[in-house]
Amino acid sequence: MVEKEPVLRVEDMTKRYGQKEVLHGASLRVNKGELKILIGPSGGGKSTLLQCINFLVIPDTGRVWLKGEEIIRSHKRDLYAYRQKVGMIFQDFNLFDHLTALGNVTIGLERVKGMAKKAAREKAVAELERVDLRNHISKYPAQLSGGQKQRVSIARALAMDPEVMLLDEPTSALDPELISEVLSVVENLRANGMTMVMSTHHMGFAREVADEIVFLEDGCILETGSPDKIFTHAECERTREFCSKILELYGNA
Amino acid sequence: MEELFFIQHDVIPALWRGMIVSIELIVPSAIFGLIIGIIIGNLRVFGNTIVAGIANSYVAIFRGFPLVVQLFIWYFGLPHLGIYLSPFVAAIVGFSLCSGAYHSEYVRGALLSIKKGQLLAAQSLGFSKMKMIISVVLPQAFRRALPGCGNEVIYLIKYSSLAYMITCIELTGEAKIIASETFKYTEIFLIVGAYYLVLTSVATWLLNRFENHLRLPGFDHYST
Repeated sequence: MVEKEPVLRVEDMTKRYGQKEVLHGASLRVNKGELKILIGPSGGGKSTLLQCINFLVIPDTGRVWLKGEEIIRSHKRDLYAYRQKVGMIFQDFNLFDHLTALGNVTIGLERVKGMAKKAAREKAVAELERVDLRNHISKYPAQLSGGQKQRVSIARALAMDPEVMLLDEPTSALDPELISEVLSVVENLRANGMTMVMSTHHMGFAREVADEIVFLEDGCILETGSPDKIFTHAECERTREFCSKILELYGNA
Repeated sequence: MEELFFIQHDVIPALWRGMIVSIELIVPSAIFGLIIGIIIGNLRVFGNTIVAGIANSYVAIFRGFPLVVQLFIWYFGLPHLGIYLSPFVAAIVGFSLCSGAYHSEYVRGALLSIKKGQLLAAQSLGFSKMKMIISVVLPQAFRRALPGCGNEVIYLIKYSSLAYMITCIELTGEAKIIASETFKYTEIFLIVGAYYLVLTSVATWLLNRFENHLRLPGFDHYST
């Protein structure tokens, strides 16, 4: 097998807030079409790692390569271009409140990619259709349910044609009933070959669809492996403990 | 009967003339003030330490000096530096700069009310800081700032009466002249008060219409 150049390579990310070190030299390689799932206790550094990857949080040390090309953060132009290629999904959606679902998707196309209004609209409608929101395109965020909002945010990210998507606990702010509609969108994306890094507490989902699971605690990657390995015969004691607690809580499904 | 004749033939035309001047002072001052306020507010929130420091000092000075003193400086002080402003221009400069300082505070509050998550979302889509402010932050912040900024415009209507102190004869100035000629202070200033009341009422009505026009789901407190 030929050694594949990963779509996204992250090396030695460190971040401290004052005295507290929240990331401790984390490294990741994400191959094309792969879904990597970050698990671990809250405050373990999952969000910080994801936000450091596209420099929404500025890491203290650490380097990032997208398709073999290193991102130089101080080159603003390159940074903005890089961020377009990395879709980000947030825990609390972060839709633009003054724009309709459609407006949320077109704004990036028009203002960042410089697309013409009509083309942007067509593309946005297609993306919203993909996440099953054809009938809600002219609603404002205040008029949408949590699951719908999260799907709009996914459409907004997808419209930029990203190479990789980062999903930061996309379902943790949702009612239990709405979680599945978002997870099924993620599953669809994966089936269509989207490269993704996602943090979640849904072990059942992680087990079923992840290519690789990364266990993160206290800013360190303690263990990496296939879902089977992590959930049934993890090497690290802490991983086993965490997984069994979570599985106990949420069941195996 | 004589009283009525006097009011019709002397008072009303003079006050009307004054009111036109007042409106000519208020409208540009309100517009420039708002523009200055938006710019200064943004610099205070999004500028680096130096820029924000300069903007903060501007606000401290223009909110801290009494407006009359500011007007005196523009009109009587600047000629010492070889700069001559007409009373009308000096008044507009004074009002705009003072109003801008107050507006910037309302704008700043509104800018700070925009959740950080939306800024992160914009950045994650590849927005530059400038584009983010223009496309994402300002349209929302403006809606939130509007009630406060409207309040400032109402104030402006009333403090425009200070223009007569630097010989720009507007509504209050005209009234003062007639009153001192006729000694009918009570009648004339009651009428003048009513004129200002009409101006502020019209402004309030216009501002409300504007607010309603910009109202969006999620930006009101009525359930939709």
